[in-house]
Amino acid sequence: MDQENIIYMKDIVKAYKMGSNELVVLKEASLQVKQGEFVAILGPSGSGKSTLMNIIGCIDVANSGEYRLSGQNIDAKSEDELSAIRNKEIGFIFQKFNLLPKYTALHNVQMPLLLRGLDRKIAYEKAKDVLEKVGLGDRTEHKPLELSGGQQQRVSIARALVGDPNILLADEPTGALDSQTGKEIMDLFLKLNEQGNTIVIITHDEEIAKKAKRIIHVKDGHVYQ
Amino acid sequence: MRMIEIFRAVLINIKENKFKVFLTSLGIIVGALTIILVIGIGKGSQANVQDQFQRLNVGTLYIMPNFGGQTTETLGVEDIEAIKEEAPSVSNVTIMVSGNADVNYAKTSASVSIAGATEDFQNINNLVLAQGEFINNDHNEDRKRVAVIGAEIVTMLFEEEADSEIVGKDIIIKGKRYEVIGVLERLGGSMQGFNPDEGIIVPYDVAEKYIVGKKARTRVMALAKDIDHVSDAIDEITQILSKVHKGKSDDFRIRDAGSSLVAAQDSAKAMTLLLMSIATIVLIVGGIGIMNVLFVSVKERTKEIGILKAIGARKKDILLQFLLESIVISTSGGVIGILLSIMIMPLMKYTDIRVIPSFFGYGMGLVFSVATGTFFGYYPAMKAANLKPIDALNYE
Repeated sequence: MDQENIIYMKDIVKAYKMGSNELVVLKEASLQVKQGEFVAILGPSGSGKSTLMNIIGCIDVANSGEYRLSGQNIDAKSEDELSAIRNKEIGFIFQKFNLLPKYTALHNVQMPLLLRGLDRKIAYEKAKDVLEKVGLGDRTEHKPLELSGGQQQRVSIARALVGDPNILLADEPTGALDSQTGKEIMDLFLKLNEQGNTIVIITHDEEIAKKAKRIIHVKDGHVYQ
Repeated sequence: MRMIEIFRAVLINIKENKFKVFLTSLGIIVGALTIILVIGIGKGSQANVQDQFQRLNVGTLYIMPNFGGQTTETLGVEDIEAIKEEAPSVSNVTIMVSGNADVNYAKTSASVSIAGATEDFQNINNLVLAQGEFINNDHNEDRKRVAVIGAEIVTMLFEEEADSEIVGKDIIIKGKRYEVIGVLERLGGSMQGFNPDEGIIVPYDVAEKYIVGKKARTRVMALAKDIDHVSDAIDEITQILSKVHKGKSDDFRIRDAGSSLVAAQDSAKAMTLLLMSIATIVLIVGGIGIMNVLFVSVKERTKEIGILKAIGARKKDILLQFLLESIVISTSGGVIGILLSIMIMPLMKYTDIRVIPSFFGYGMGLVFSVATGTFFGYYPAMKAANLKPIDALNYE
């Protein structure tokens, strides 16, 4: 296994129990993502791509197989260790933004750093910088519901970026946005990739996927690199 | 996450749900209030007992005939002489007789309880004179018609006189003239069968001869040397009475004041205990209320918990956030309860219940509130902390 692989997955199996039946969602899926790549994971709904993304993001665990993230063996981690990995290694961007509605944009972006135990002042400076970087320098004190969909997604991208993660993981990041805003968000991802961020985007939209540098297809639980 | 940030998150949440938080803390408010009042009432009733018995020597023994029995043995001066000489555990003994009589002074007249007593009566009952002197043995031997009057009698008979002029005045008891030689200080409580505040004390022989008659109910009061000699004293007195009354000692009853003090203290304690258990029940109900609201809150905020976990919240961060929320709610409930009790307690003087506020009471109210919040908040908080990130995140 070479060092530059940020994601190294081999023979990942994930199955859910549905009553007495077992539903196998991922069938021995294997994939690698290297440092600095911009990868789109493309597949129709029900293909298992969301499950794949959850396992990559360490919010779900595989039943079997091998998964290394930045060289760390994920299978052997405790829940709190996984929390620390999600906090430091991964920046999540969700389809429905998943911002905390009671907190301001700035507070939302601060959260990963605060959870890390950083001082609020340091988190404040960092969060403000990142919000400016995504073009929301003038919206820091707004709460999510006072922002448009595109702005909310920018806040969510800022939250993902703030902790300097090794990988940005975006689940249908344009899915809840109109096409113009979606295009702007994709341009932002391209820009971030040029700046050296490794990005993995999950999508069912081929147009979106084409913007990425590499496409991984997922179908019926199989991964085709 | 730093504690201060967790605390900030808790406050943001509480601010968003003010009304719900208020309803939740109601149970704790009532619980804390109950505890503080209960402790206040407990202290009040203990103080009542203390007031009642403060002038009483715990070594005091009361010996009285068994009325309603077959025989009509009475106690007399020969009994106290015998006890004085033959009972080594008894340090002091006196005889007393009591009854009611009409008393006149100027135009005022009233029916008052009269006690006939000897010199030792004062020591045994810890009577203190405000003015003048108490009855002494010479008064008894000479059958002098002198009287020592209680504090209430002063206000009743001598409304118009200055306090210093009362000693030396004559009053009429059952048609005979008595000189007031002393005024008692207010006792505030009553001894067995005779309340010195509302009574008049005259020499024993005088009372027997002029006021209550030969067949009156006599009673002997003895004082044990100290509290450890009370049961020895009872045994000795029983033997002496049996000798003097030729085996009819069963006709007399001996009671010691210590045991009635213990009984009164016990009943005050029992009342406190009963009230305490009511307060505990109130707090448990309040705690269950908190637990319910927190469970609902955990359900409502499942998505939020999922988001927090996805961006790196550890179990401890979630646990502390919910636990602290419960503790903050219950603590403020406790504080409100204390403030309410401070407002309510002065109103209790309009009832017969005596309440004594104390920092101990406030402290207990607060401690129990916080303990309830912690105890009942823990389980929902644990549930929130143990949510799987993927399940919480996908919860709609």
